[in-house]
Amino acid sequence: MSSEPQRPDEAARTRRDADEAALAVRARSGDRAAFGELVERYADQARRVARAVLQDANDADDAAQDAFLAALVKLHQYDAQRPFGPWLMRIVSNAATDRRRRRTVRRSESLQEGLVAGGARPDAAAERAALNDRLRDALAQLPPRRSLAVTLFDVEGYSHAEIAEMLGIPEGTVRSEVFHARRRLRTLLADWREAE
Amino acid sequence: MSESLTPFNHRPDPVLGAALREALQPRDPGGAAFRSRVLAAAERLPVPVVDVLARWAHLGIAAAVAAALVTGMLVGRVGRQAEATVATTDPGAVVAGVQVPDASFLLAGYSER
Repeated sequence: MSSEPQRPDEAARTRRDADEAALAVRARSGDRAAFGELVERYADQARRVARAVLQDANDADDAAQDAFLAALVKLHQYDAQRPFGPWLMRIVSNAATDRRRRRTVRRSESLQEGLVAGGARPDAAAERAALNDRLRDALAQLPPRRSLAVTLFDVEGYSHAEIAEMLGIPEGTVRSEVFHARRRLRTLLADWREAE
Repeated sequence: MSESLTPFNHRPDPVLGAALREALQPRDPGGAAFRSRVLAAAERLPVPVVDVLARWAHLGIAAAVAAALVTGMLVGRVGRQAEATVATTDPGAVVAGVQVPDASFLLAGYSER
């Protein structure tokens, strides 16, 4: 757990946004190398965001792939005056939410059951793996919009305003979603930290 | 994790963020296989009708520009020829424009005899 949300300074962010907008424009005119560069830059982020909603890694990868392909098809709708990341993450969020809606819900155990059960803790790696499972499980139990809000804010470093635009909801609702998601996840994380 | 979490907290929580990031991280960070898979799928995408029309539009614009250039050159050339014709209607200019032949050329026949 070493990396934190990246919040590049304003100048670097502006340069990056301009660079990615240029890549998107090239990709729009059929430059597959430019599209490949965008996939390279956003693959991990897209897969994480999709997994926040879908839990299963394979489902998340399928949703992320659908999102990249949808973005490629819709590139003519992208406004190059605006940052590319939030535009893409909106498509990823929709793809993951749609996939979750379609798929059969496979719930095994509730978050509280998982916390109470605890289970054997043979070593630190297994303990961490168990925590990761529980965090994913907890995220999966949240409404998709709440999982997305907390992931986009605390993991990916997007602002409330950007998330509001991605999810098509008011900024105040984003704050509320992040708050409720954190409250739920905090219990889980605190339990793990006390057990360390 | 920060204890002062409220709906108005506008700062990301680094501890929770890092924990979630690790939990959500793909098993193959960097994801070369995933990227290859996406790019291969992109290659299989049918070319949208809009793109086809856009390419035709580009070709049409290029052809129109080329035609305009050729037409411009032709019109320019015809114009210059017309100016030259108008200039030669002046009798004085006609006389002035005729070069006097070389005298040695005219007298060559006599010298051979």
